[in-house]
Amino acid sequence: MTQFTISPPPHRRSKISVKSLMYGRIAALLIVGAASLLLFGTPALINILAAILGAVGTELVIQLAFKQKLTISDGNALYLGLLLALICPPTLPAWMAFVGGAFAIGVGKHAFGGIGSYMFHPSLTAWVFLNLAWAQNMLPESIPITSEFSDLLYETGAGFLTDVSPILIILTGLILIATKFIEWRIPLSYFLTTVILALFLGEDPSYIMQGTFLLGVFFIATETATTPVTKNGRLVYGILCGVLTVTYGYFAGNYLWGTLYALLLSNVVAPYIEVKTLPTPLGGVLNE
Amino acid sequence: MSDVIKLNKLPERVILPLKQHDGIACAPLVKKGDEVHLGQKLGDCKGSELAYIHSPYCGNVVAVEARPAPGGKSVLSVVLEPVECTEAPEFVPEKEAPPSRLMEIIEAAGIVEYYEKPTYKILKPGPLIDTLILNATFPLITRAYLPFLDKVLEGFQLMLEAGGISKGVIVLRADDKESIQAFKKASLNGKPLPVAPIIGKRHADYYFEDTDSDLIALVAGKKTYTPTMMNLLSADVMGRSLPLGYKPEDVHLSICGVKSAKAVYDAIKEGKPYLENAVTITGAVNNPKSLFVRFGTPVKDVIEACGGYRGEPGKLIINGSMGGVAVYTDEVPIVKNTTGIVVQAKEEVLRDEAMPCIHCARCVDACPVNLLPGRIAVMADCGMYEKCGEYYALSCIECGECAAVCPAKRHLVQLIRYSKLQLQKMNEAKNAEVIE
Repeated sequence: MTQFTISPPPHRRSKISVKSLMYGRIAALLIVGAASLLLFGTPALINILAAILGAVGTELVIQLAFKQKLTISDGNALYLGLLLALICPPTLPAWMAFVGGAFAIGVGKHAFGGIGSYMFHPSLTAWVFLNLAWAQNMLPESIPITSEFSDLLYETGAGFLTDVSPILIILTGLILIATKFIEWRIPLSYFLTTVILALFLGEDPSYIMQGTFLLGVFFIATETATTPVTKNGRLVYGILCGVLTVTYGYFAGNYLWGTLYALLLSNVVAPYIEVKTLPTPLGGVLNE
Repeated sequence: MSDVIKLNKLPERVILPLKQHDGIACAPLVKKGDEVHLGQKLGDCKGSELAYIHSPYCGNVVAVEARPAPGGKSVLSVVLEPVECTEAPEFVPEKEAPPSRLMEIIEAAGIVEYYEKPTYKILKPGPLIDTLILNATFPLITRAYLPFLDKVLEGFQLMLEAGGISKGVIVLRADDKESIQAFKKASLNGKPLPVAPIIGKRHADYYFEDTDSDLIALVAGKKTYTPTMMNLLSADVMGRSLPLGYKPEDVHLSICGVKSAKAVYDAIKEGKPYLENAVTITGAVNNPKSLFVRFGTPVKDVIEACGGYRGEPGKLIINGSMGGVAVYTDEVPIVKNTTGIVVQAKEEVLRDEAMPCIHCARCVDACPVNLLPGRIAVMADCGMYEKCGEYYALSCIECGECAAVCPAKRHLVQLIRYSKLQLQKMNEAKNAEVIE
């Protein structure tokens, strides 16, 4: 007699998985990272590898120590390490990048409960940690100003690794949005808010259109665990990110720090935005 | 269209569950050893919602016992050993029947909607009904009935007449071009049937005024409105959205299927009880197609008629791969609400492992009724059922879209269903306290 599997519906699911989402993002960041190697060369490569090694290694150690299921192959630790390396200057000693990657996973991710449970973006957490611990080493040699179009393509005054080619981040980000790896609401509202507000305040857009800001728009702000899940909440979150970015950038005069601190602060507000934007079901609710 | 054939080969056994509708099971009228003829009443029910069971075959009763039914449970069934009918059955239609008589005929024929309600019950549910919606958004089923389109339309009109309902809407899927074409060509009392798209706020009422016709066909979105999506259908087609706990009949709507429209025609114009249905077989069979199958025919024989399994079968799903039930044996019979069978090959069967939620909000974007499925599921998992209620878990229509798009492969539908069950139990307990 033939054996049939019984299981609850749905019996058909989309092929997309957490793993494929992570590797999609990693692929995009690898392209951005490759551009930084052109300008910075070996130190950049060593920093990227060190941060990834720190991140993945820490995840391995933690999961072995606590006898958890090994999840290093899902790409999340790899992604967070890579992202951290991209928002650090190439002059950072490699061992500090390694410590940063370990901090991102050990404290930023696993102390909060692992994948999906962290309330602060682990890479940002580690970036703040590095900034406080070794402030001198985290200072970029120059602050990029993208005054011409060629600067968007290849910015020689780049501070962090990600600042080398803003246009690549826009392209990869748009591809990820088109292929639905990233949802469009947060990038759109974040980008528009920042640009409109900055122009209103009379800021020079060449200070804003930098790799770090664009990385924030497409990759950091869209970190799914640290954003509201409601549709309107995501729009509000993007607006909040934009307002904070311009606030920091306008008064501190630096949109690199501005972006990253604004995103970290927005992470704190995300749960509040979510509970304040709960949708009502179709047809409304009875007796309310 | 021409490939819709009737399955005439006699199966080895015919299994007729005595409960094929949403109500109290019928009592058997026959016992082991009895000889039955085509169209004979086998099951009689009592109560407010009834659907009699008739025999679609001639044959002998071999057993009256519990057998697996397509719902997943065992149901008391009449098991027949079918034989060729020796004499042609006689079905005599009643001529010039008045509306009150039409209703009795529909009731006696045992016609059941695709969502398991007896048809006579939805035509006069109590509240006044002003519009009857014919849900033709199951593309394969609709296509199987296209050769009998005039009968379906006439049956639909008879339903309107029987229920005293003034207006009728036929809802089609936007990507079902073949059916749309056929409905455009169809005529209604000599006039062409108006076919129009639903755009923005232009719902059915707009077209009733615009076309001056009491019966129109509307092209909705690319959505199949399954039995749990009735309120969504009423909101999308009529613009009458319903709060939680309300049914379409509360806003004067009733919903019927293509199959019951044809069955009503057969019952009134040809005097036949509800004996057969079109069933669509898709997936891993050698020759996927639509067939007219008499009730009680085991799935095994239907699949044989489609050329048998292709490769090794892994899963047998009754009524669609999004919300259907996977059955454990192919001995289950086709019943009145069976619309389709999906066969998955062994290698197609999903074997995913659930991961923690990453809050990607894909479920939120997919939900057709604006819920936060991921959040409700997490709270159901923790046993926080009141909190699920605050997130409107009871509004869930169980369409399965959230679980289908979930990248973490979480069992969202089951968790939400579970929380709904617990919430209902809690409500019942609360009501019981009030009565004491």
